[in-house]
Amino acid sequence: MLVVEDVTVRFGEKAALDGASLEVGAGEVVALLGPSGSGKSTLLRAIAGLETLDAGRILFDGNDLAGVPVHERGFGLMFQSYALFPHLSVADNVAFGLRMKHAADEEVQQRVAEVLGWVGMEQFATRRVDRLSGGEQQRVALARTLAPRPPLVMLDEPVGALDRMLRERLVEDIRGLLDREGAAALYVTHDHEEAKLISDRVAVMRDGQVVQSGPYETLTAAPATPWIAEFLGVEPRT
Amino acid sequence: MKPRSRPVGTALTLALPLLFLAYFFLYPLIRILWLSLSGEGWADAFTRPRFIEAAWFTLWQATLSTIITVAAALPLTWVVSRFNFRGKALVRAFVTVPFVLPTVVVGAAFLSVFDAGLWALIAAHVFYNIAVVVRTVGGVWSRIDPAMEEAAAVLGASPIRRFRTLVFPLIRPALASASAIVFLFCFTSFGTVLVLGQGRLRTLEVEIYQQAVNFLDLPVAAALSLIQLATVTAMLVVSARTQQRASTLVLASEARLPAPRPGTQRIAMRGILLVSLGLLAIPLAGLVGASLDGNGIGWRSLVTETPAAVEPLPAIGNSVGYAMVASLIAVVVGGLAASWLSNRKGGRWFDLLLMLPLGTSAVTIGFGFLLALDRPIDLRGTAALVPLAHALVAIPFVVRATLPLLRSIKRELREAAAVLGASPSRVWREIDLPIVARALAVGAGFAAVVSLGEFGATSFVVRPASTTVPALIFRYLGRPGSSSFATAMALAVVLAVMTAIIVLVIDRVRGTETGMF
Repeated sequence: MLVVEDVTVRFGEKAALDGASLEVGAGEVVALLGPSGSGKSTLLRAIAGLETLDAGRILFDGNDLAGVPVHERGFGLMFQSYALFPHLSVADNVAFGLRMKHAADEEVQQRVAEVLGWVGMEQFATRRVDRLSGGEQQRVALARTLAPRPPLVMLDEPVGALDRMLRERLVEDIRGLLDREGAAALYVTHDHEEAKLISDRVAVMRDGQVVQSGPYETLTAAPATPWIAEFLGVEPRT
Repeated sequence: MKPRSRPVGTALTLALPLLFLAYFFLYPLIRILWLSLSGEGWADAFTRPRFIEAAWFTLWQATLSTIITVAAALPLTWVVSRFNFRGKALVRAFVTVPFVLPTVVVGAAFLSVFDAGLWALIAAHVFYNIAVVVRTVGGVWSRIDPAMEEAAAVLGASPIRRFRTLVFPLIRPALASASAIVFLFCFTSFGTVLVLGQGRLRTLEVEIYQQAVNFLDLPVAAALSLIQLATVTAMLVVSARTQQRASTLVLASEARLPAPRPGTQRIAMRGILLVSLGLLAIPLAGLVGASLDGNGIGWRSLVTETPAAVEPLPAIGNSVGYAMVASLIAVVVGGLAASWLSNRKGGRWFDLLLMLPLGTSAVTIGFGFLLALDRPIDLRGTAALVPLAHALVAIPFVVRATLPLLRSIKRELREAAAVLGASPSRVWREIDLPIVARALAVGAGFAAVVSLGEFGATSFVVRPASTTVPALIFRYLGRPGSSSFATAMALAVVLAVMTAIIVLVIDRVRGTETGMF
């Protein structure tokens, strides 16, 4: 479904992505795992169309996305900082993507109520977003991302800012929601447990490249390089 | 970096504010400088006893006013920032009222309860500036986690030692910057001094006015203006330095404040509230009372023709009109400037230039207008000078009100909207415009408040036929007879109410509790 081929994105001299390749199948949840600065977020932004490629290409359902502007790609992206619109209520934030698709008012209302119900925020619908706690903002951002039914959902460290206890529960909730929607997903994290918990497959990133990918157990059983072994905290293969 | 699309017309957003400031602010200053070099301006300014007296008086009355203001404000600040109690929002709002009142109104209010003179002037300065201390210092004090004080208490520190060793060091930067602002306001005080000083009390600001208008010694007025400008700029630089130091302070984001404990603490709190609010209420009550004296002749003369042929109703109309034009100009110029500043990290020099009119005394601005604005078109005989001067003073307020909101539109908000399917033009309509519109409305409100109360620059450029309310109040106060006095008081009440309404609207639109400085 999504194919990333040898993508390079440079910021001045520095290459944030340096020939990264990745595939995501329909309904598959892939965790992007890597140390900070390894290019995980840049890869998401490149797929969303927020960064222009210096080399390589990105295909979705066989179509090259080069030249397709951000707002016509129809993907979902949840920002690490949530990026909720401060001038809109919780419900209006969630409705935003649906309104952009010119959905009928009735349908918008129905879908907003449904999605807010999933994340347990239905009673906050009319609240201003800047009065919400971190956990509440996170759930609104998730609802906003899922509401327009994107075929590919990208989440950039969606639970990074929250405390441990809350995180594990939310990661399970997110996986449940993705399965319910049947959406493919890319999930950026630097936390191994999270990656293991959420994904069908883990793609390990280092210095702007995907260095190995596969189910978490496969990676720990057979890390491709000593660096990956050390990063995953397992004994390198002899 | 990849080329990012720049907003269209970036050059224009910078050019228009720059041109405005160059012609209406810098050019008049240059003319003042030029004028001061002709004749004996500088020699006179530094040697004539009259001016040395005025400079000395300016300095010590500002120092005394500042000390008393801080002393009077601290107990109230303690109550408002350390405890939660019912009606706290109301108390805060009430404390802010004097600050937004036009200086002439404050002068009139004190004239209604005190005899004119030094102590009335000092009291008026304290009344006017208490809000500065309560809001600036309170903003920091209320964020000091009560647990820190409790920890100190457990470690054996008495309340006095806790204040001295813990609270005071933490609030000191805010206290210093609040004191600097208060000092600045008292140093450049004009309307209040003119009303309450009765010609005997002369600050530098008053002296500039008298030399220029009464004695027509323009070179001396010019030299004094520049001395005033240099002093004020130096003080602003020092105050900006202390503020930078203050902002590095790390504080708890939000402290959960306790209710006062029953017993001494509650009695102390109630006593402080009663005395502070009572004192603040006296001049306001006096003003309303004085406007009703003589069976309401003051109010009646607002609507009936007076023999003196200065009609209050047209003046109210003029003031409203000037305020609308001035806020329009200020919003366009200040809004463009703020949007230019919000799109980049640098631009400190431009930010500073925009703030300069605030540091320049109003009298200097008015004086400069009269001197300079005869070319290319002679604006001096027209009514345009008044709203232009008001706009110049209001622009810093518009910039300060809009810039934080504009900067709050992070790049990610626009990106999030785009990912959700909004085209670039839709992003502007759905994200930028609603946020900017609110910011501009707040800026326009501030500009209108500034314009309604402005007196210093107005006193130079206003023409009798199209006078403003503050100028008319001053004229009525200078006229003998109890009915003139009552009319002045009634006009002051009208002006105070108009100002209060705008401030209330601003608070509703803005919806947050941040101060205005």
